[in-house]
Amino acid sequence: MDSARADILAAQSHLATHGWIGRRSESFRHLPPPELAQWQGQPAADAACDAPPLAGTGWTLLPIGQTPASGVDARWLDALDPAQRAELFAGLPPPGEGGDAAPFAWAHRALCRQGLRLRVQGSPGKAPGEQDIVWLHLRHQPRAQAEAPLLVLDVDEGVRCMLIESHEHDPAVCQHGLAQNLHVHIQLARGARLQHLRVAAPGPQDRSAHFVHATLAAGAHYAQALVATGGSYHLQRCVVQLQGAGAEARHAGLLLAGTQAIDHQIVSRLDAPHTTSQVEALALASDSARAVANAYTRIAAGADDASVRQRLSGIALAGQPRMVLRPHLEILHDQVQAVHGATWGALPADALFYAGQRGLDEATARALIIDGMARAVLERCLDDADGASLLEPWLASGWLHQAIARHLSIPQEAAHG
Amino acid sequence: MSSTPSLLQVRDLRVDVGERTVLRSVSLDVPAGALVVLMGANGSGKSTLGMALAGHPSYRVVAGSARLGDTDLLGLPAHERSRAGLFLSFQSPPDVPGVKNNLFIRTALNAVREARGQEPQDAFDFLSSAKQGAKQLGLPEAMLGRPVNEGFSGGERKRNELLQLSLLQPRLALLDEIDSGMDVDGVRAVVELVQRLRAQGTAFIVVSHYLQMIEQLQPDTVLRLDQGCIAETGDIELARRIARTGFARAATTAEA
Repeated sequence: MDSARADILAAQSHLATHGWIGRRSESFRHLPPPELAQWQGQPAADAACDAPPLAGTGWTLLPIGQTPASGVDARWLDALDPAQRAELFAGLPPPGEGGDAAPFAWAHRALCRQGLRLRVQGSPGKAPGEQDIVWLHLRHQPRAQAEAPLLVLDVDEGVRCMLIESHEHDPAVCQHGLAQNLHVHIQLARGARLQHLRVAAPGPQDRSAHFVHATLAAGAHYAQALVATGGSYHLQRCVVQLQGAGAEARHAGLLLAGTQAIDHQIVSRLDAPHTTSQVEALALASDSARAVANAYTRIAAGADDASVRQRLSGIALAGQPRMVLRPHLEILHDQVQAVHGATWGALPADALFYAGQRGLDEATARALIIDGMARAVLERCLDDADGASLLEPWLASGWLHQAIARHLSIPQEAAHG
Repeated sequence: MSSTPSLLQVRDLRVDVGERTVLRSVSLDVPAGALVVLMGANGSGKSTLGMALAGHPSYRVVAGSARLGDTDLLGLPAHERSRAGLFLSFQSPPDVPGVKNNLFIRTALNAVREARGQEPQDAFDFLSSAKQGAKQLGLPEAMLGRPVNEGFSGGERKRNELLQLSLLQPRLALLDEIDSGMDVDGVRAVVELVQRLRAQGTAFIVVSHYLQMIEQLQPDTVLRLDQGCIAETGDIELARRIARTGFARAATTAEA
């Protein structure tokens, strides 16, 4: 038996022995994931569909603008080939280190068939502070009804990278409900900067679980702005480890739950002095939706002058959606700053009346305010000139505008343009 | 008040806020192009009149009528009152989180223009007129690209109200303490804008305690509101007397 096959069998054996995520698991108790079989490629009961098999291409890398091609090393690797599998998983933490999400990591090891390793490098002869910015767009299209894609991204010392990562499943193309267990590993070397716009829009029948693991060396900066829409089950979990002094992480989650489900989990570990973590989430939900926003931050002993901010907001747009907002701090050091808060409510009534007094009917006013709040969350995360250059063209594409209208039942003509 | 036909006619307006009756019985007429100054002690009902006319859901009209031209205001939702030509400048303009000021105003302007049967204004033309208006009012151009009122100073919020007033060009504007938070240049901008719009036929109800601005506005009528009723009607001399003696003495004099 080759080593790839052995690794897969070992993962399957581990799952068979230790089982799936329990109903009482702290991270998952508010929105328990579907059973293990669905993440292993075994069709769900509702999977009967006469549509042709999926023909997605997996990961597609699209350079944006004037990115120097020499700055990107991309390798598509076959996880069933022993040598390529070894290269694909090289340097990644073993699945057992995933905490209470470890069963997802084991399931990923068992099902992963292909992955992409990207290395973003500096230009030779240029100092870290003088490096050109590398602009990338990574698009993922599903290749199978149950899949476990992998992306490994290494950004070299002092290099600046701007990345759009998009996941969309158009149910008009295929009526199958997908089960996607995606893992992304990001490693930022000393002084590297990554601004990352992630868009995850599963189909209404899909079960999606996305895991981003980011490790930051000294002086590295990571900003992730996530736009995620609701699904049958949709988990977005990001674990950020700030290992080097002066590292900074920002995370914004715009959760358009609509009437479906979404679980957003951010785990930040500040292990070094002068590290900073900012987490913001805005959940917009209606009727029978279930939305969870979890922020857990741990400041380790010795992390002098660490700074943490957590801000979680939930807005019920109609009916009585179930929203759970859980800011959580664990502080093991004295000399730190930490702020956290959670607010739950409706759209601001005074702003709605103000808009009405200026001649806007209620539907238009609501659309304008929802759109504005959504944009503001993303803009606060990607707030410098480069971030704006990443965000603005995407906003101008109208995707967010249409997604808000579609998921939040707002007539499109009422939203602004 | 005036023999010319009234643009705004309010009759025996009674307004409750929660369990409390704030306006007991208010009647007034404002012709097109006229300017009425409304004075009164804190809690006398000045802001309530504006909110009730504008259709705020917390201000419940329990009796009376209010017409703007041929339109029965009280039967309309807030946005239709605005489209009928009523503008309320808020005493404390709220934030509209995340919504860019220029987008907000342009959307509002085009909603009003559509109601008037006018073509919508495109982004380029709008921005040009908004920049010009902002410059005249002393509002930094950068404020057009920021979320409505977020992080604005008190004076900037009031200037932003004036900018909307100048662009929307309503038939009747109710300015609730527009001078509060304004510096002298801001007050001068208020006076100039009001004079310009009055000349075009816009009627005004101005709530203010600031005599110098009131004198510059050259009101047709000054009203003193007390405990939810119009207690006195006069001209600029009434405003001067109130400024000299205060509301307590003014009430005593009126009763005598």
